[in-house]
Amino acid sequence: MARWGMVIDLDKCVGCQACTIACKEENNIPHGSPQEQSRRREIYWNRVLAITEEGEYPTQRVQVLSMPCMQCDQAPCVTVCPAKATYRREDGIIMQDFRRCIGCRYCIVACPYGVRNFNFKDQLQEEYHRPDLPPDRASRGPWPFPQRVRGVVEKCTFNFHRIDQALREGKKVGVDVVPACVEACPTKARAFGDLDDPESEVSRLLATRGNFRLRENLGTEPKVYYLQG
Amino acid sequence: MAGDLTYTPIEGKTRGFRIMVAILGFMVAVLIASFLVMYLSGQQVWGISNAVPWGQLITFDIYFIGLSAGAIVVSGLSYVLRREEYKPIGRVAVLLGLIIFTGAMVCVLVDLGRPEKFWRLFMYGYLNNMTSMFALNSIWYGGYLLLMVVYLWLAIENKTRLAMIIGTIDVLWAVGVHSFTGAIFGLIGTREIMFSPIKPFEFIAAALTSGTALLTVVVAAAFKFTNRSLDKKVITSLGRLLSFIIIVLFVMVFFDKLTHIYFPHREGAIFLFTGPYWWLFWIFQIGMGIVIPLIILFHPRAGKTVRGVIIACISVVIGVLGERAALVIPGTAQVQQLYPGHIEGMWGAAGVFPITLWETTLTLGIVCLVALLFVLGLRFLPLLPATEAVKVPAASEGGEEALPEEKSVTEAEG
Repeated sequence: MARWGMVIDLDKCVGCQACTIACKEENNIPHGSPQEQSRRREIYWNRVLAITEEGEYPTQRVQVLSMPCMQCDQAPCVTVCPAKATYRREDGIIMQDFRRCIGCRYCIVACPYGVRNFNFKDQLQEEYHRPDLPPDRASRGPWPFPQRVRGVVEKCTFNFHRIDQALREGKKVGVDVVPACVEACPTKARAFGDLDDPESEVSRLLATRGNFRLRENLGTEPKVYYLQG
Repeated sequence: MAGDLTYTPIEGKTRGFRIMVAILGFMVAVLIASFLVMYLSGQQVWGISNAVPWGQLITFDIYFIGLSAGAIVVSGLSYVLRREEYKPIGRVAVLLGLIIFTGAMVCVLVDLGRPEKFWRLFMYGYLNNMTSMFALNSIWYGGYLLLMVVYLWLAIENKTRLAMIIGTIDVLWAVGVHSFTGAIFGLIGTREIMFSPIKPFEFIAAALTSGTALLTVVVAAAFKFTNRSLDKKVITSLGRLLSFIIIVLFVMVFFDKLTHIYFPHREGAIFLFTGPYWWLFWIFQIGMGIVIPLIILFHPRAGKTVRGVIIACISVVIGVLGERAALVIPGTAQVQQLYPGHIEGMWGAAGVFPITLWETTLTLGIVCLVALLFVLGLRFLPLLPATEAVKVPAASEGGEEALPEEKSVTEAEG
């Protein structure tokens, strides 16, 4: 079984937010109002942070950090979820099932990366970029739920629906088919593939450069790697 | 106190009592309305956000669980240790524990995003995940509720031997309930303010202080306003007990915070001490929860008067509520250190938790629901000693006029 992972090259990332927008389109994530954004209620599965490493304007060094869900192998959210709404798939993707979620928000408290989002309201129909979805739930598992209901938590799923479809159709994941954020990246800063396969693009990239993962000291074993910039 | 104590319900025929019940009933209607508003429009009407996902309801939830556990442990003085002087307040303590815990369960239920799916917490191992503290707590909380109902029934039926057995189990169970409630927070390794192996023990100490304090206030008020006489020594000895538990709580809090300020990650403790929520910690948790009551209780004169002990108790009851808030809100509002450096923009700003209308009315409604159930419990169950109220019915009538005051005191505490 593959172990899907992502590599983000900090040297190439320019912080254009294309990944954030592509993610919103692909996963049917509603765009929030400016008020919701300033209240930290807008839903982001992927976000881009600007981090001042040292100095002050105009002589400062800023690191742009693009963050999907880290898909931890030892995920704290899976441990604390009381309803099995968040669980780890065989291939290492941490899933979120809206139908099981009771909305206790314990996973948001436990997540070390702050990538989980709560639905504070029912989403309006016109907020959806893709009202045509979902075509066929039977072939796509729990995603995409036709509409999110208020009161459940959601998060990045590494576009597992693309992966599953590609495997069914015999395409090669990481080459022919990649998650929407990887596809949209204009500088090719992101790569996706099987971490257990030494021939994959991600394994090759990790072997070439120094790399790190976020908050490694917590022992969560994230599967998103960053190549040092 | 006499060994063959008889208990009666309060009469509840005065105007004051009826007005109080009417006001509390109205607030319960407000509670239902606020719940419907939240249920129909989502949690956007509350103060919570993705930065501070737990708000007033969770604060009151753990606060109520603590009060309940403390009251049950104090009831053990009467039913487990068989201390005769605490006998007049034994039944009230059990009722208080049961009613407040019911309030806590209402809090946690309405706090869920999808409250109709709460039953998933009780599908032991089959549909729920037993590594989650919430799922484990469904066992603790469910058992606790059951034990308290049986305990209250045995106490009312005067089955002292059985009450002692069930009481012992219940006291131990209450300690388990509250240490596991502490574990909900103490085991979250990523939130520096919450993460602490000492947290379950700190929760037990906080439960004992707040529970003892609230019980003292409620008992003193209930006896005073129904013109029953209570030995002054009961109140002052509860005050002495309280002073020692506060010292235990202080030691717990002190070493918890010391560990966090010592080495190597101090950001959490510094955020709590000097961040936007400093007042929750310094004014409420330390000031009103520990310093003021200790000064009063160890004061050579004030510590020996009923008035002094009651003021200290009210201070503790408010202070411990602040202590819960100082855990829940700054605990998640602190920005997580994802990468060395300062995160710019909204992702690097500390979480904000505004007090909003519907969340506050919901919380106040639950406090009033607890008060209403408690008053109705006193009205319909024989819980208070009968002695003088029966002898002097006229005085009792006059006394009950003042009951709304008693309740307004407990509401203010809640």
